[in-house]
Amino acid sequence: MAKIERAQKLFLKALKTKFEGDVADTKTGFYNFGGLNQSPRKKEFMEASKKVELRRGISMYDPNRCHLGGLPMGQRQLMTYEVSGTGTFVEGDDLHFVNNPAMQQMWDDIRRTIIVNMDLAHQTLQKRLGKEITPETINEYLHILNHAMPGGAVVQEHMVETHPSVVDDCYVKVFTGDSELADQIEKQFVLDVNKLFPAKQAEHLNEAVGKSLWQAIHIPTIVSRTCDGGTTSRWSAMQIGMSFITAYRMCAGEAAVADLSFAAKHAGVIQMASHLPARRARGPNEPGGIMFGHFADMVQTNRKYPNDPARASLEVVGAGTMLFDQIWLGSYMSGGVGFTQYATAAYTDNILDEFTYYGMDYIKDKYKVDWKNPSPKDKVKPTQDVVNDIAGEVTLNAMEQYEQFPTMMEDHFGGSQRAGVIAAASGLSVGVATANSNAGLNGWYLSMLMHKEGWSRLGFFGYDLQDQCGSTNSLSVRPDEGCIGEYRGPNYPNYAMNVGHQGEYAAIVASSHYTRNDGFCLSPLIKITFADPSLPFDFAEPRKEFAKGAIREFVACGERTLLMPAR
Amino acid sequence: MAYTPQYGPGQSIVAENRRKQMNPNVKLEKIRNVTDEDIVLILGHRAPGQAYPTAHPPLAEQGEPDCPIRKIVTPTDGAKAGDRVRYIQFADSMFNAPSQPYQRTYTECYRYRGIDPGTLSGRQIVECRERDLEKISADLINTNLFDPARVGIRGATVHGHSLRLAEDGMMFDMLQRCILEGGTVKYVKDQIGTPLDKKVDVGKPMDDAWLKANTTMFHSLVGTSYRSDAEYIEYIQRIHSLRTKYGFMPVE
Repeated sequence: MAKIERAQKLFLKALKTKFEGDVADTKTGFYNFGGLNQSPRKKEFMEASKKVELRRGISMYDPNRCHLGGLPMGQRQLMTYEVSGTGTFVEGDDLHFVNNPAMQQMWDDIRRTIIVNMDLAHQTLQKRLGKEITPETINEYLHILNHAMPGGAVVQEHMVETHPSVVDDCYVKVFTGDSELADQIEKQFVLDVNKLFPAKQAEHLNEAVGKSLWQAIHIPTIVSRTCDGGTTSRWSAMQIGMSFITAYRMCAGEAAVADLSFAAKHAGVIQMASHLPARRARGPNEPGGIMFGHFADMVQTNRKYPNDPARASLEVVGAGTMLFDQIWLGSYMSGGVGFTQYATAAYTDNILDEFTYYGMDYIKDKYKVDWKNPSPKDKVKPTQDVVNDIAGEVTLNAMEQYEQFPTMMEDHFGGSQRAGVIAAASGLSVGVATANSNAGLNGWYLSMLMHKEGWSRLGFFGYDLQDQCGSTNSLSVRPDEGCIGEYRGPNYPNYAMNVGHQGEYAAIVASSHYTRNDGFCLSPLIKITFADPSLPFDFAEPRKEFAKGAIREFVACGERTLLMPAR
Repeated sequence: MAYTPQYGPGQSIVAENRRKQMNPNVKLEKIRNVTDEDIVLILGHRAPGQAYPTAHPPLAEQGEPDCPIRKIVTPTDGAKAGDRVRYIQFADSMFNAPSQPYQRTYTECYRYRGIDPGTLSGRQIVECRERDLEKISADLINTNLFDPARVGIRGATVHGHSLRLAEDGMMFDMLQRCILEGGTVKYVKDQIGTPLDKKVDVGKPMDDAWLKANTTMFHSLVGTSYRSDAEYIEYIQRIHSLRTKYGFMPVE
């Protein structure tokens, strides 16, 4: 290990905007900021609360009375945050998922998505019923399905239906690795792999998908919000069944329908997430069941920016910490409000970005990895010495940056924030250098041990647990002890409990594929499905979308204002 | 061959300070003399002079079961008397505070019995029977483990360990439990933030040179650089490598 020179400090702009005076000073003034009044958003909250109280007659947000018995926040400077990679400054409150419709929509778009194979159904129709399947019949079926999926009736008389404006985010497209077949399907229904992906990635994806035909289905946001992720496959299967009956003039009650139903509900279904055991008690398509490899495929930045695997991985960190820390662990599992600040540290103020690009410079300088031209060819053999060297240097550099810039330490005021960020940069650097997700995870765990010993502190009780035993399971693949990174997930033993890890783990998995310019990390089907430009949330730019949500420029779906009197 | 604890690797002053704090054969350096009564005030668990509230009758009165473990383990004074379990919690500034969260925990585990420490990034708590706690607290406050300005005794709202220092050198505390007045630090609130009837003087802040020479945290700007202690880093990497290899194939 040896420090390398890197003149550019990506976090400086944020620090200089956030803090007055020299960002390298060790001293400052406190207790004179005017408490909550320094924050426009907190003031807005107080004014809004007054109106709510008048309307409903019940007290609400009253920080001047309720916070610490009359001592409000804001004795130190209440900071704004720059969403990394966007140049947009926002208030911390605007990054809580409740206040950010883009964050909600990202999760909605995952939960309401299901992928269903068409080949099984086509075989049933052809072999059992003697029906002819042609591009024309497929196009007709897709027209019917795009009528039925949002809630239109196709078979019965006198049915209730859903209002199209309330379910306007619901639709179905198809994709295949067979370019000839894709060409014969109406453009409005096709996810064209060759157009959506760079050539190398498209080639990889087409080869993996082959001649099979898949439906990428997004049920209405409002349905998955009212019900749950387990509803997605059921809602979709019901409409698929009815649409086949209509499109192919089947008898509604004939036994062959059961085959179609079985294919749509079970045999041909790809859920975004597996169901969870009873102690976590969630159905499929809920966040705890998403494998890291699948999540890495949902994020699309490497498709848009194939020559920057670091940036693409950082977007996975942002999306992953938002989903796994803020929504999954923060709300589903704990019910807390404060988890936001663990997560935002990893995608604000360009701090993790700077640490990660330091790692990129280091692997280029020492190991000649041409990370800006991703390919499998120049990857470093993942020996323990290599992992220790890269992760060790990235960790030391990151710790030194926090020390040299006390305002950055103040920015990331909690140990878990710093630990997640430092270890993520270390793991991503190893992942990009070696193209091996488990080596990347191993780099993460070395970083945690070095961090803890250097500063004699890490995160908190439970946070530290998985990191102190992580070295041992990072290369184990024995059941209940370890797994290759792609197949790990939020419900993996030891990972199920604490913030500041899961999004970063997913990104480490992603980095090991983005650095090879792979078409996908674990599932070509999921990769293609989320490349869809019609999705309300742009999975190629998660952090930009969060920033838009924060400054109130993001338009989410699933709204029901149409059906209510205006306030 | 009898095991001789080494208390950790490293050739830097930080490593040496860590070993000295942990090693119970090294006497902690007494620097100040905060009285027992004042410590009780800062802790805020009982009023000075008040009898210790109890969680159970004294062990001698409650009839102990015939248990081999109880025969081996001598109860502490607090356990014998049936005291409640109470706590003291510290926030240590990252600007060269003499002790730091994990360091505190390791030190306490080597030096004291009947304790339950908890370690976080911005605070470290130790819980034990109340009269034992008061004795331990006297050590933790009156010796070289403490600095009045860079260490806070805080039960809740501990925010401050990673922040820049105030212009007067004090660590940020939104509750301002202690203030610098006349060159010494005085607690005006107990550790949970309840105002005290009288100010408790915990002494003069140590100067920067002393803090740098006595801290147990690496810091490249105000103290000793972590990178400069190659032995320390090599040792951690060795531990990590051995754990990794054993997890992969536990046959070596």
